[in-house]
Amino acid sequence: MTADATELAIRVSAVTRRFGTFEALRDVTMDVPTGTIFGLLGPNGSGKSTLIRILCGLLAPSSGSAEVLGLNVATQGEEIRRRIGYVSQKFSLYEGLTVRENLEFFGRVYRLPAKRLRERFDTVVALTHIGPYVDRRAGVLSGGWKQRLALGAALLHEPRVLFLDEPTAGIDPVARRELWDLLFELAGRGVTFFVTTHYMDEAERCGRVGYIFNSKLLVTGTPESLKELPQISPPDARRIDIETHQPPRALMWLRTRPYCQSATIFGQSVHAVVSRDVTDERIVFELRQAGFLVAKVQGIRASLEDVFVKLTEDAANQQAAGA
Amino acid sequence: MWFSFYAIFRKELLHLRRDPSTVRLVLFVPLIQLWLFGSIDQTVHDVATVVVDQDRSTESRLFIDGLKASRTFKVIALTTSPEEARSEIRSGHARVAVVIPPRFHGQRVRPEPAQILVLIDGSDSTLSAQALASVNGLVSARNLPWNATVGPSIAVQPVILFNPEGRTANYIIPGLISVLLMTVGLALAAGSIVVERERGTFEQLLVTPIHPVGLVLGKLAPYLGLGLLEMAIVLLAMRFGFQVPIRGSIFLLFAMAILYLMPLFAMGLLISTRATTQMESMQISQSLMLPSVLLSGYIFPFESLPLFLKALGSLLPTTYMIRIMRGIILRDATLMDLLPDVAVLGGMCVVMVLAAARSIRKVAQ
Repeated sequence: MTADATELAIRVSAVTRRFGTFEALRDVTMDVPTGTIFGLLGPNGSGKSTLIRILCGLLAPSSGSAEVLGLNVATQGEEIRRRIGYVSQKFSLYEGLTVRENLEFFGRVYRLPAKRLRERFDTVVALTHIGPYVDRRAGVLSGGWKQRLALGAALLHEPRVLFLDEPTAGIDPVARRELWDLLFELAGRGVTFFVTTHYMDEAERCGRVGYIFNSKLLVTGTPESLKELPQISPPDARRIDIETHQPPRALMWLRTRPYCQSATIFGQSVHAVVSRDVTDERIVFELRQAGFLVAKVQGIRASLEDVFVKLTEDAANQQAAGA
Repeated sequence: MWFSFYAIFRKELLHLRRDPSTVRLVLFVPLIQLWLFGSIDQTVHDVATVVVDQDRSTESRLFIDGLKASRTFKVIALTTSPEEARSEIRSGHARVAVVIPPRFHGQRVRPEPAQILVLIDGSDSTLSAQALASVNGLVSARNLPWNATVGPSIAVQPVILFNPEGRTANYIIPGLISVLLMTVGLALAAGSIVVERERGTFEQLLVTPIHPVGLVLGKLAPYLGLGLLEMAIVLLAMRFGFQVPIRGSIFLLFAMAILYLMPLFAMGLLISTRATTQMESMQISQSLMLPSVLLSGYIFPFESLPLFLKALGSLLPTTYMIRIMRGIILRDATLMDLLPDVAVLGGMCVVMVLAAARSIRKVAQ
C-alpha cells in the first residue's frame, strides 16, 4: 500500500454501472481523503444511491474499480462491511425493539465480544446522548432521536468510514444541527464521512462536495473551489444582489437587459450575474427609470446552490444539444 | 354529500384497477373453490385392497372378480397370508383386506354357511364405513340366488383395525397436526424476509457483515421451536383430552415433523424473497394453505378426489405428512412402513431448500 492510499479512505476510478441498458453511473472518478466529510449532491435518481451501494460492496461496478480503506469493493465486500457503517434515510432499525436491544443486536451482528459490546454501548450512548431513552421502543422516538440511534448503531464497531444516505431528511432544524455537530466531532477523530443530502446548508458544511447529475459526476472539490469555477464565476462577469420592493417584476425586467447573463429570485432580492463592465450605479439608475424602488445593489459571491443550478443547466443543455 | 360519494367512488375504482390482485382474490378464488368443492365426490373409489385367497378355487376367484369389477376397490395385491395383508394395512399401502378362508368353495357347493373376513383400516371412518358397505353389497349380490331358496349364505365378518369405534377425532387430529404445522411453517417463514424488506431493516442488515446462512437459520430456529411446541401441545390434548392413543413412536413423530417443516420453511422463504409486500406474501401462503386443507386427505379422503385434484394434492407436502402422522399415531407404522411417503417428503425438502437458497443468495446481492 502506497503512502497515498493510506490517506485516501475512498478511491473511485472510472466506475460505470449498468442495469440492463440503463447507465446508473457513467465513468465516475473521485476520491475522499481520510477524515473528510464528503457531501454528494444531486437530484433523486441521479445515481447517488447506486454509488453508495457500490462502495458498500453490495453492487459490483460494471467497469472501473473502487476501493474503500484500500479494499476492493468488487472482491472484498464483506471485509469492507466490517469496517464501515451505514445510516439510511428511512429509519431502518427495529421499531419493536428498545434502543438498548437495537444497539445490542447490531453489536452482535458486528461480532463484538460481550465485554467489548458493553464498553462500546456505553461510549455510543454517551456520544449520542440517547441515555434517557435506552429502554424505550425505537418506534416511539422522534425522527431526530431515531437518526441518532441509527448513527449510534452504525458507530458501535468503530467504523472508519460512515455512509449516510440523506440522514437529515425529514428531521427538524435543531436536530439536524445537533447531528452535524456530532459528525464534526467524529470527523475530528479521523472518521471519514460520505453523506448525501439535498440541503445546501449541509453541503456548505462539508469539507468536500461532489455533484452528480444524470449518472455523471460533474464536479468535486471544496465548496469554495467550486464557487470559483470559471463557468460559475466567469472572469468577465460578477454576481450582484438587488434588493427591491417587487422582486418578480424586477426579475422579468432584468432578464431583458443585454448585460444580464442570468437572474433568479432570492427572498426579497434578485440575484443576477451581470457583465463586469456594467457598474452598480448604472443598474440602479436603469431600475429607477423603469419605476422600481431599489433599496440596495451589492456584489455577492456565488453560493453552492448557484453552482449546482448552473451545472445542471449546462449539463441539460449539453444533453439536449447532443440528442 | 354526493360530491364526496362520487369523489371517493371514483378514487376507489382507480385503486381497484391498479390492484388486480384484490380483484383476482374476490372474483377468481371463489370460482376455483366452487369448482373444487363441486367436483369432490364424497363416495370413495379405488380403495387399495389386498385379497387373501386361502381357498384358491373357482368360487373364490368369482368373488375376487366381483371385487375387481367394483369401482370401490382396487386390488393391489393377491396373497395367501393374512399376516402380509395386515402389514400392508399398517404401512398404509392398503386400506382394506378381504380374506377368503380355505374351504370356501366346499362350503359354497355343499351348501353350507360361509364366511368372509374383511379387515378395514378404521383410521378414516368415512372410508371404512363406505368400504364395508360396499363389501356387504357385493356379498348380498352373490347371496341372492340362495336367498331365493332360503339356502345358507355368505356372512361378512368385518374387523375394523386401529379405530374400532370409528371415532372422528382419531382421524381428524393427526391430520390437524399436519395442517397446523403448515400454518406455522409457511406463514411465519413467508413473512420473515419480506417484513424486513418492507420496513427497510433488510437493507441495513445487508450493509453489515452478516452471513446469509446465519441470517436464515437464525430466523427459522425460533419458528422450528414454535412448531414443535405446538405439535407437543396438540399431541397432549389429543392423547389426554380426546383419548386418542398414540400407538407409534413419539420420537419418530417429532423427527417427521422436522422433516415436514423444512420444505415448508423453504417454501415460505421462497415466497418471502419473491413477494414485495407482507400483504402479497400472506396472499400467496394463504393460497397454498387452502389446497393443503382440501386436497391432502385431511377433510376428504384422498381416494375420493378426482384424478386431477389427486395430482395437485400429490404436490403438497401436507398430503404425505397426513399419511405419515396417521400411520404413526393410529397404526404404529414404522419408518420402514412409511418409507415411500417419507422419501417423497425428503425429496421435496431437498428441492425446496435448494430453490430457497438460490433465491436468498440472489436477494442478498
